[in-house]
Amino acid sequence: MTRSIVLSDWREIARIVSLTHRFGCALRNVDVREHDARFHTNIELAGTPDALRRLDAQLTKLLHDDKEMFR
Amino acid sequence: MNDPTARSGAQIVLDVLLEEGVDLVFGYPGGAIMPLYDALVGSRVRHVLVRHEQAAAFAAGGFARSSGRVGVCVATSGPGATNLVTGIVDAYMDSVPIVALTGQVRTPLMGTDAFQEADIASITHAVTKRNICVRSVDELERTLRNAFRLARGPRPGPVLVDLPTDVLKATTIARTPCPAYPTLIDTPDPAAIDEALALLRVAERPVAIVGGGARISGAVEAFRRFCDLLELPHTATINALGCARPGDERFLGMLGMHGWKAANLAVCGADLVIALGMRFDDRVTGRVDRFATRAKVIHADVDSAEFGKVVHADVALRGDLRETLSALVRALETSEPRPAFGAWARTAREMGTALPRDRTPDGTLSATDVIDAYVALAPSGAVVATDVGQHQMWAAQRVRPVDPRDFLTSAGLGAMGFGVPAAIGAQFARPTAAVVAIVGDGGFQMSFGELATIARFALPVKILLIDNRRLGMVRQWQELFYEQRYSATDLSDNPDFVMIARAYGIGAETVDHARDLEDAFARLFADRAPRLLHCACYPHENVWPLIPPGAATSEAMEAVSA
Repeated sequence: MTRSIVLSDWREIARIVSLTHRFGCALRNVDVREHDARFHTNIELAGTPDALRRLDAQLTKLLHDDKEMFR
Repeated sequence: MNDPTARSGAQIVLDVLLEEGVDLVFGYPGGAIMPLYDALVGSRVRHVLVRHEQAAAFAAGGFARSSGRVGVCVATSGPGATNLVTGIVDAYMDSVPIVALTGQVRTPLMGTDAFQEADIASITHAVTKRNICVRSVDELERTLRNAFRLARGPRPGPVLVDLPTDVLKATTIARTPCPAYPTLIDTPDPAAIDEALALLRVAERPVAIVGGGARISGAVEAFRRFCDLLELPHTATINALGCARPGDERFLGMLGMHGWKAANLAVCGADLVIALGMRFDDRVTGRVDRFATRAKVIHADVDSAEFGKVVHADVALRGDLRETLSALVRALETSEPRPAFGAWARTAREMGTALPRDRTPDGTLSATDVIDAYVALAPSGAVVATDVGQHQMWAAQRVRPVDPRDFLTSAGLGAMGFGVPAAIGAQFARPTAAVVAIVGDGGFQMSFGELATIARFALPVKILLIDNRRLGMVRQWQELFYEQRYSATDLSDNPDFVMIARAYGIGAETVDHARDLEDAFARLFADRAPRLLHCACYPHENVWPLIPPGAATSEAMEAVSA
């Protein structure tokens, strides 16, 4: 699974890594570029379809909270 | 501070607290947070000094759970901050809105292993909705406002703001423009509502399971109306006790590991489960591949990450639960013919109408007798805060709160030591309410330093201490699942709890026989003073029913001697 996300707080990448481990998935690649104080991140994850689906739902929530915290 | 409009970081914190409606915080001072404590002198923000930072976090949680308002706890850097962590996780697990303010060493010292430096942002990263270390006083106001907004929802939770000493001391004339963002209420997709109604129309044995989301969204009345319209049998998770209308015969009791037989069997036999603001915790589902195997599932939740996390949802209703239930009610009110499940509700009710219990030896006091007496004799509408363990389950099975904000428990995390500080928080939030902490002897010994807080503020908190001289729930599992090898569960050398309470200036007495309970409860509730009722109970009484680990919810064990 590859997700392209934009973060205000780059520390959230660490959280994604921790969640990936917790959900029994694996991190394959992370690529981050800063642009206008936003962090454009491509992240490649591997795991079972069910675990990736649940992880994806958590990432969506995390992105929402990131947006809210930096309004 | 030459410019009269300049404010220190500490003053900005207090200003934002007041503007966010917070005039009470629970905390414990220390070096790094001293500028904030200095600013508290003469402030309209009232500070409640607890005796351990963990209690500050639990009290903030109790305040929030019982009122729906954001609870705030304060601690210094390092050990102060780390002591908050259990209370923060508790709030995260049960979706409780708290804001934790922690001191931090000066920014130039961060990363040098300075005295009382702990990287609390990293430590709490996985257990907060968000945390942030504020590096500039100019960022402070906006950060705090965003923290409060995020803590409130849509799904509430803890937010931590780390405050270095130099940021608290620095001054600024900046006023951060803070637009009033509208509160967005998520409404469910009308098409999904129609799908849910279609499932209801063809169902024969539906059961509603209400969870903590009903308390959070204020959906209690809508939930009751929904059940009334359909004559629907319903059950509740431990976080939703009090959602059912008092006396409603269609309420089947609490669901789950120690739930009522009728609730578990009805869900097992249902052909439609309507899950409302609940997350299918393993303590609720038992063995999940055998949970409600014949049922379609309608799952309503504000958090889409809950859909399919544990149990597949045939219809997912994403949105604020009150909005969702209101939409369902509106549709049902105009629906002809409207489904009605009164006969099925009576059948479900008859699946189990009494709680099994151990027979205790003559001359001993049964803990279940104590809880039953409490239910019979306590003031109506009392707020109960439990600790964690056997007493928690006996209380959850028996106490009938009239509102979910009247039953406070560490449900998801199961944190011992929660009961007394949560009761303190609830008493501050609802000063005229009767507040009762129902605790065990294990958890009470993790928190009884807070008797000092109760005494200092003359809080009329009543403490019902179920003392079986054991870590009873662990002992029960050792008896049943570890071949009676009792390991580290004996508390037979407990201290004299009555003397301890009296040492703090709190009235207390012991009761050790059922015949004395009525008079003892009368004295407990006779006035608005704090008081402890120590119940010396039979040590080997177990909680029944019990769904063994790895079993389906239809496979409950019951008392052998019942």
